[in-house]
Amino acid sequence: MPGFEEIYNTYAPQVFRVCMGYVNDRELAKDMVQDTFISVWKNLHSFRNESAISTWIFRIATNICLRAIEKDEREKNVRLLASFPTADYDKGQDEKLSKLYTCIAALEEMERIIISLLLEDLPYLEIAAIVGINEPNLRVKVHRIKQKLATKMKAYGQF
Amino acid sequence: MDNFEELKELWHTADTATLPQAGEVQRMAQKFRNERLRKKILLILTAVILMGVMVMVVINYHSKMLSTRIGELCTIAACMLLAGTNLRSLKRFVNFSDCSNKEFIAFLEHTRMNQLRYYKRTQVIGMFLASAGLVLYAYEFVSHHSATIIITVYGFIVIWILFLWLYIRPRNFKKQTNKLNNMLNTLHHISNQIENEE
Repeated sequence: MPGFEEIYNTYAPQVFRVCMGYVNDRELAKDMVQDTFISVWKNLHSFRNESAISTWIFRIATNICLRAIEKDEREKNVRLLASFPTADYDKGQDEKLSKLYTCIAALEEMERIIISLLLEDLPYLEIAAIVGINEPNLRVKVHRIKQKLATKMKAYGQF
Repeated sequence: MDNFEELKELWHTADTATLPQAGEVQRMAQKFRNERLRKKILLILTAVILMGVMVMVVINYHSKMLSTRIGELCTIAACMLLAGTNLRSLKRFVNFSDCSNKEFIAFLEHTRMNQLRYYKRTQVIGMFLASAGLVLYAYEFVSHHSATIIITVYGFIVIWILFLWLYIRPRNFKKQTNKLNNMLNTLHHISNQIENEE
């Protein structure tokens, strides 16, 4: 079992990207990374290798994303950012990446999570275990989400 | 999407250099855990201490009136209800990390339903017990005094109880139930996104 520092250094960037895909806000995404690894640190001793450690970490991270709806301010921010596709980004941020986040932010909650995990290159089986659905069902969802995303990206003149 | 691989490449260009160091997160974890638990434990402790004080009063103070005994029992029952409800909700702080999104949304829906039930039923029972306890318990102490004192003391008690029932509770109830109902609608919406096509 790797130590906390090794786990953090390996997965924190991945978790950050997934959270960014969900909230489309750097500061909120950073808060979510912290919340995720606070939970990982607290529960690492009870992790029993019943699933891959990455599945366990992404389950925590995506559940924290979903829980954002319970926090008033975050809820407002998530909805606001999702409904205004011209959200501001850091100056140095690549424009294409900003547009990708904006298009993902316009998807439904679970669609945002699934596409973010897919872009993170997680296998279908692992994504299905994180979300809690079977693999064939996930494949159907992924097909539709990709179509939706492609339409939005085209509307932005990206692809 | 033919160029999904291109999107993946783009996705991985996100700047992650500003994330905190592992040690910093560990320090935050210690602080975060203590702060979140402190409030709830303090509330449970207060209820238990108050309950202990009331039990000591029952044992040491031999009241002559039945109303005092009933008042003491009502207050003890209200404290037990407060401590018991908060002990149960402590479960939310216990590890619930290794579950899928589907299970987690179901857990949140269940928890919010419980909270709604708390505001609609448990809180009413608790407030009723505490109010009845106060009214009954005070009687023996003021009954030996003049009518003016009895009316004054009970006037204050009644005003306080009316303020609690007619202002504080309806205001909190409306605020909390609106918030919980909105949350439940959103959770239901997400749950449908997961269930869809299964």
